[in-house]
Amino acid sequence: MIRYILLGILFIIGMYALIFHRSVIKKVIALGIVNTSVVLLFIISGSSIGDAPAFTGEQGARMVDPMVQALMLTAIVIGVCITSFSLALIVHLWGRFETFDIDTIEKRGDDES
Amino acid sequence: MTEMLLVLIIVLAVFSLISRDLIHSVIALSAISLLSALIFTLHWAFDVAITEAAVGAGVTTIIFVWALKHTSRKDI
Amino acid sequence: MKMKTAAVHVIVIFALVLLAGCLFIPDDTPWPTDVRTRLVSDGEKDTGAKNLVSAIYLAYRAFDTLGETIVLIVAIIGTMSVVESVKKISDDPTTAVTYDFSLVKEKRSSHKLRTHLLEVVTGKIGPVVLLFGFYVMGQGHISPGGGFQGGTIIASGIMLFILGNPYSKVTEMRQNKILSTIEASAFVLFILVSLLSILTSGIFFSNPLEAAGVKYEYYIIALNALIGLKVGSGISLMCIAMMSRRRT
Repeated sequence: MIRYILLGILFIIGMYALIFHRSVIKKVIALGIVNTSVVLLFIISGSSIGDAPAFTGEQGARMVDPMVQALMLTAIVIGVCITSFSLALIVHLWGRFETFDIDTIEKRGDDES
Repeated sequence: MTEMLLVLIIVLAVFSLISRDLIHSVIALSAISLLSALIFTLHWAFDVAITEAAVGAGVTTIIFVWALKHTSRKDI
Repeated sequence: MKMKTAAVHVIVIFALVLLAGCLFIPDDTPWPTDVRTRLVSDGEKDTGAKNLVSAIYLAYRAFDTLGETIVLIVAIIGTMSVVESVKKISDDPTTAVTYDFSLVKEKRSSHKLRTHLLEVVTGKIGPVVLLFGFYVMGQGHISPGGGFQGGTIIASGIMLFILGNPYSKVTEMRQNKILSTIEASAFVLFILVSLLSILTSGIFFSNPLEAAGVKYEYYIIALNALIGLKVGSGISLMCIAMMSRRRT
């Protein structure tokens, strides 16, 4: 039970920084933390029904759920895609505004348009 | 064991979000990835652990360091 | 104004606590075991894969995998186009094009030593990591591993190779071309293999050569190899495009 509460705390920290942190690069880091917390939640929940790896064999009746593992595998690869694309956009923004501050970027973008 | 590693992950997450030096944040993020790969191994999810270790410690760190090299190491 | 901001913070934290409480704290419902029961009895018979995770993402839910490879290729295309425009902004196009892979930029006295250490160590580790990646990719049906896992390890190995010899402009150009060719052909082959089974058996993503006596196991090995090559070449292509820069 206590592990689910800790995972919830990790999720809250990530989402809070994603909403309120002013630096865009910290927002990307927060996105990675939220991704990690969700993947951890699925793997830990899926392992609650067994204590053996997901292979066929004599331990088959008490293995963990292989379904969540297959889903989380794709989630991790998509996560690195999101990180790389947003970092490329951040470097693009830096080339124009020379700052990480989201408020400054917004204000100067409004002024220029 | 899992709870201990989770507490460590939370501490590293807070550190990576409040650190002023962004390189330290990136290293903490890759440490989070490695610790979660350890948790996956403890929960018999070996496929996910391999992917998380390769992605978190290798690819993500390289991309972040590239971005910091082209921008700035100091946070706002 | 300050009072208002603090109120917003408190409200958002409260909402997040409620959300995390709903999402993360499990109720008394036990985790469903139907999928496991079905897979334990039928999984190896249906797909020939001992690793049931591979059996799921290559046989039962292969359509998911196709969608994910499309997402991956779109993300790589987007990232590389943005990176190219970054290069155009920050660099003068009239200067000669050279590529620099070293990660350290500052001029300190230990720079040279550190770079040599980096080059020697990564140059030795790179081939081993690459070999391990191919092993993980090829053995995905009987041991932990598979296309995505092996692909990311291969990408890490190629990164180590590149960090090992940082000054080779020619290698970079050639690698770029080879990697993009591998990625495109692996993607096309993946789609062709999935479409071929419509012609032979009428079902999307099933073994196309089942009538010829080829076991489903070999089909899974082929799909693993295609996905691994595609993921590995795609991610390393993206990293190479990011790490190479025009030196002014």
